[in-house]
Amino acid sequence: MFSRKQNSQASVSNDMLNKQKRYEVLVLALHTDIFRYACWLVKNKTVAEDIVQETFLRAWKSLDSLKDEKAAKSWLITILRRENARRFERKQFDLVDIDDVSIIDDQLTNEVEIEHRELRAVMGSLSEEYREPLMLQIVFGYSGDEIAQQLNLNKNTVMTRLFRARNQVKEALDKANENRGRENG
Amino acid sequence: MDELEFRRTLYADPNCTDERILAAIDEDPKKQAFRKELKQLDKDMDLASQVKVPDDLVHKLLLRQTMQSHRVSKVRNRIQLAMAASVAFVVGVSFTMWQQHNLLNIADQAIAHVYMEGNYALEAQNNVSLQQVNAKLAQFGGEFTEELGQVYYANFCDFENVRSLHMVMQGENGKVSVFVIPHDDAHNAESTANGRGYQSQALDLKRASIVVVGEEGANIEGMKQQLKRKIHFSA
Repeated sequence: MFSRKQNSQASVSNDMLNKQKRYEVLVLALHTDIFRYACWLVKNKTVAEDIVQETFLRAWKSLDSLKDEKAAKSWLITILRRENARRFERKQFDLVDIDDVSIIDDQLTNEVEIEHRELRAVMGSLSEEYREPLMLQIVFGYSGDEIAQQLNLNKNTVMTRLFRARNQVKEALDKANENRGRENG
Repeated sequence: MDELEFRRTLYADPNCTDERILAAIDEDPKKQAFRKELKQLDKDMDLASQVKVPDDLVHKLLLRQTMQSHRVSKVRNRIQLAMAASVAFVVGVSFTMWQQHNLLNIADQAIAHVYMEGNYALEAQNNVSLQQVNAKLAQFGGEFTEELGQVYYANFCDFENVRSLHMVMQGENGKVSVFVIPHDDAHNAESTANGRGYQSQALDLKRASIVVVGEEGANIEGMKQQLKRKIHFSA
């Protein structure tokens, strides 16, 4: 009786160990992309960090329901989006708009950062319905079909939004260039 | 494919692999430049969207999960312990009750004995002396230290496979049967019963039990107390 108990306990802790391994792999492989996506979703680093933590906590709790490791990414995105939606149910945060404050650390002064600051502001100014599919495409390399599935939208809608998103980005950049030209000239 | 549709499609996905799009691009260097421009924009956006992950985020994510699982397993241990404890408790209680349920109710048994025996003992008219009673009672290590009054009958009998002393004595109102039964763990030695026109009470005296059976309405309590006072068991 006692030996059996020890055995079952050993297998339980074995399961726990496996689960822990899976979770660690999941965190290490995907936390960067998930965090990046969260930042662009909520446009606030602190809130994004909170949401990412909640997301992974929830992922840990229901890790057994994740059968296919390939689906991990979209599974996490789904949890993340749900967490983000829940945030609005709970409480409306005072979010600082991306126009006022850049979400990226300004102290980073390497050239790429400076170069992209403008582009970042433009991307941040896109409305969420355009920004979200665009980030899925760029950050996760999702196809139109995958984005449609993830966001629960019709593919045509997704393609239209992607088109408008890029269109808006390009227009904004062109306008900025024009203005700069005028100022310089 | 017209120009507008081409632009729309490529704007939506610069890496589009639609054959018609690819064919159109092959034919037109302008379109090639357009795609290149869009791909560059994507690359820029990709770079621009890079966010520096806080150094401690990974640790936070791993730590929280460890704490969580630790907490869960602690709670689970506590629940398991509680479950085991309550199961043990229920088993203990039900075993005790089952055992008690199975104890022989000697008061009941005594009534049955008297009833089944009929008048054999009750109508006996032997005048048994205290010495004779004590001689028999000595088998159980007991002795009456005072006169018992009229004793009509005193003999060994089989009481549920236990050899015991059966006496018939004169009570306050009518004859009373008295049994002295050696102690047995299977007996419920403190019981009362009535039925078949009789009532009975058992008294546990550690070494042995005394059961007094009288007719219904007779004062057997008085007889029981009297016997309790008069009987003594040697250690």
